[in-house]
Amino acid sequence: MSRAVVATGIGTIGAHGAGRERLAEALAAGRPLAMEIDRSGGWHSPAGSRYAALAPVLDLTPWLPSAQARRLGRPSRFALVAARMAIEDAGIPALDGLRVAVVLATSFGAVAFTEKLVEQILIEGPEAAQPFYFSECVANAAAAQVAIGIKATGANVTLTQREAGPVLALARGAREVAEGRADVAIVGATDEMTPLLHGLLDRFHATARAEDGRDEAARPFDGGRNGFLAGEGASAIVLEAEEAARRRGARPLARVGRTASGFDPTATASDWGHGGASLGRRLAAMLDGQAPLESIDRIVSGASGSRRGDRLEAATLRAAWSGRSLPPVVTPKAVIGEYGGGILAAGALAASGARFGFPTAWMAPDPEMTISPHDGSPLDAPRRVLLTGLAAGGAAAWAVLERI
Amino acid sequence: MPNDAIAPRIKRLLVEKLHLEGLTPESIDDDMPLFGDGLGLDSVDALELVVALEKEFALRIQSHEVGREAFASVAALAAYVEGRLATVSDAHAGS
Amino acid sequence: MPGADPGPLPTDIVITGLGAVTPFGWGVGPLWEGLRRGATAIGPFSRFDASRHRTHLAAEVPERPSPDRLGPRVSLADRLAVASAREALGHADLDLRRCPERAGVFFGSSNGGMLESERFLEAALRDGRRRARTSAIVSQQLNGPGDAVARALRVEGPVETVSSACTSGAMAIGGALRALRRGEIDVALAGGADSLCQITYAGFNALRSVDEAACRPFRADRAGLSLGEGAAVLVLETGAAARARGARPIAVLAGEASACDAHHMTAPAPDGAGAAEAIRMALADAGRTADDVDFVNAHGTGTPLNDAAEAAALHAVFGPRTGSIPVTSTKALIGHLLGSAGAIEALATVLCLVRRELHPMPAAGTLDPAIGLDLVIASPRPLRRSRCALSTNLAFGGSNAALVFTSAGRA
Repeated sequence: MSRAVVATGIGTIGAHGAGRERLAEALAAGRPLAMEIDRSGGWHSPAGSRYAALAPVLDLTPWLPSAQARRLGRPSRFALVAARMAIEDAGIPALDGLRVAVVLATSFGAVAFTEKLVEQILIEGPEAAQPFYFSECVANAAAAQVAIGIKATGANVTLTQREAGPVLALARGAREVAEGRADVAIVGATDEMTPLLHGLLDRFHATARAEDGRDEAARPFDGGRNGFLAGEGASAIVLEAEEAARRRGARPLARVGRTASGFDPTATASDWGHGGASLGRRLAAMLDGQAPLESIDRIVSGASGSRRGDRLEAATLRAAWSGRSLPPVVTPKAVIGEYGGGILAAGALAASGARFGFPTAWMAPDPEMTISPHDGSPLDAPRRVLLTGLAAGGAAAWAVLERI
Repeated sequence: MPNDAIAPRIKRLLVEKLHLEGLTPESIDDDMPLFGDGLGLDSVDALELVVALEKEFALRIQSHEVGREAFASVAALAAYVEGRLATVSDAHAGS
Repeated sequence: MPGADPGPLPTDIVITGLGAVTPFGWGVGPLWEGLRRGATAIGPFSRFDASRHRTHLAAEVPERPSPDRLGPRVSLADRLAVASAREALGHADLDLRRCPERAGVFFGSSNGGMLESERFLEAALRDGRRRARTSAIVSQQLNGPGDAVARALRVEGPVETVSSACTSGAMAIGGALRALRRGEIDVALAGGADSLCQITYAGFNALRSVDEAACRPFRADRAGLSLGEGAAVLVLETGAAARARGARPIAVLAGEASACDAHHMTAPAPDGAGAAEAIRMALADAGRTADDVDFVNAHGTGTPLNDAAEAAALHAVFGPRTGSIPVTSTKALIGHLLGSAGAIEALATVLCLVRRELHPMPAAGTLDPAIGLDLVIASPRPLRRSRCALSTNLAFGGSNAALVFTSAGRA
């Protein structure tokens, strides 16, 4: 079986606040959602990164009553809220009788509880380890809590493939529906950022920092880029069989088109490699035939401002487009940061015609790559959007979203 | 240690360690069932409570004691803790 | 994907290589030897100081016989994974360099480089946060082992790590099966790797899920699980690709499925409904029925709740025949290997299927009359019929997975 799959709802929570409208506003404005992170723990480099795209304190009780949130870590809370928002947005009255799969990606899992547990064990002793923390520490806790929260008994998958995770989750969930193993798939990603994790990313020079007279900012594809903006939150998309969605009168946001993934073995465990040519071939093969290059009129790029990650992304796109000019490229991670799956929600918004503003922190293109983000001028709604995600460590994933 | 000093400490642990928002220690009745109907705690809450009790009262609680009659209510727990502490102080007195 | 032209899609996916590092040693050979003997690898261990933990036993991988070439900034889980992958590829006599873009890696891990991260945090607390060397945690994430395999073998196709607790390894194998069936790749390395670490050991102890003695799955006096570490990799190919290069399939990966209890974070649904559904769907996916199953490699952790729920699931699926299907649990010998459990148990299932004998569990405890399974204890059980085997996993968080293997060369 291979049936058409559509996205019918978006739920998202992060530095932009709660809901797709907040995200759309933030993406249209183009301003980085950066706020100071607590560096008093002593993990950061003295001249290192000071900002992260942190979720503000929000009242989540409309989607997650306190009694249910009681034992949940933040990634689980984010994920369950995003899932419920997405289901509400999709207008699905009830999931009873439907087989619902949950496919979530997370890069770091439940960081805060993991830190607390390790500290308890190392400082107070193993007997001080708290069951609450441990049961939420497993990477699949969020997906499990979503399943319990919405009663989803289909496949429950947690992918841990870092920056490629969200697009891989989209592809995996779409297949559950396309191949008839699920009626609905909730696909998305969740992450939380903590001062310790941020400090370690800073120590690895992964995050942006003030340097050479430039303010700290994530500048995807910019010649002076020096790292990403670390973010947190969760995004979820509801996927259904197109036929079933239309039958119930839903208005799909986009159809899930071709998806593909690959690997660049020249990467190292915590960095990107230089295999743009072979990744580009893989991407070109995905775009062959059904969703030809010419029909892609928007690229929602996973470029984040990382020096080597963006270089690889540019090389991959250039290789795939082999000399032809690229369609407009938007870089949501300049606004919402890396992690938390916002890229998925941004992709779905792009496919439904949302406007992306010019990233306000942008200064100048990299002469090696000459890719600039779209200047923010109005564009016709795209026929096809390409969503990309290249992970440190080597994994790569792409997906096409088609406007309906 | 008199029993009535232990029960309030247990109630405080319940509210703080189990994140029972909207409840004050005073509002928990001594005889209210902790599990099922009553406070509605589950097996993981029980284990979390055990770790909290072990820290608070410097005890080691064996797995088989968890969830039994000792954990039925605050009153039962207070009696259990008091009994364990009495054993400890008896042991000290004897040495 | 929807609408994509399928062409002639592969219908049989075969296993052509096996590799493993387990508490019985480095390699499939030592694993099978230990399994056959029904020996226990669960005992005192030294991966970290367990003296202050509630329990003190685990199944630990022994010292590596010879150094690998991976360098120092690699986690133990990465090393176990790469060693298993190399053994499996060698066994398959397969050179991926000819077509790296048609090869994929599908892995499961629950801990990744957590052991090394704990050591880093310990050093940081002791020596100061700025002085602790971040090189120690370069491969911290859960995708570490799978990525390490992909980099070591220069794979260019899909690489995915699943982290669904106890079902990770089985789901990784399931993901590989799907990718092979849809023609995305011709060969997959599918497996899992996890090392022991303090957070998991203390965490399961905090949940009072760990037996002070070696675990006794399905016994009346079972009191919890035993933790272990290890890795396993299966080389999976389309039947066509294997035949084209003259490789002899070891067995067939016939079907897979997963389903979620959606019941509770730490306790399985008591009626095992999610597990039963996964089993039924996997059998259907394999084109088989419950009557075809010749033996079961159960999840069998030894916790009171898991074993009861799993027994209920098996009864729901197999009905009156349940008591006559031989059942074993690999965890009884090597403990619960978490993210790699599903992979190692799949590998053990294949070994038993091919050698036509089911490995035993060590003699311990008394049978639980409520369980009603035909448990293989003390000595290996020769299998009159060894054509179709089931391996099951039930995870923390409610995910359930089932894999169906059939013998090669039989319809």
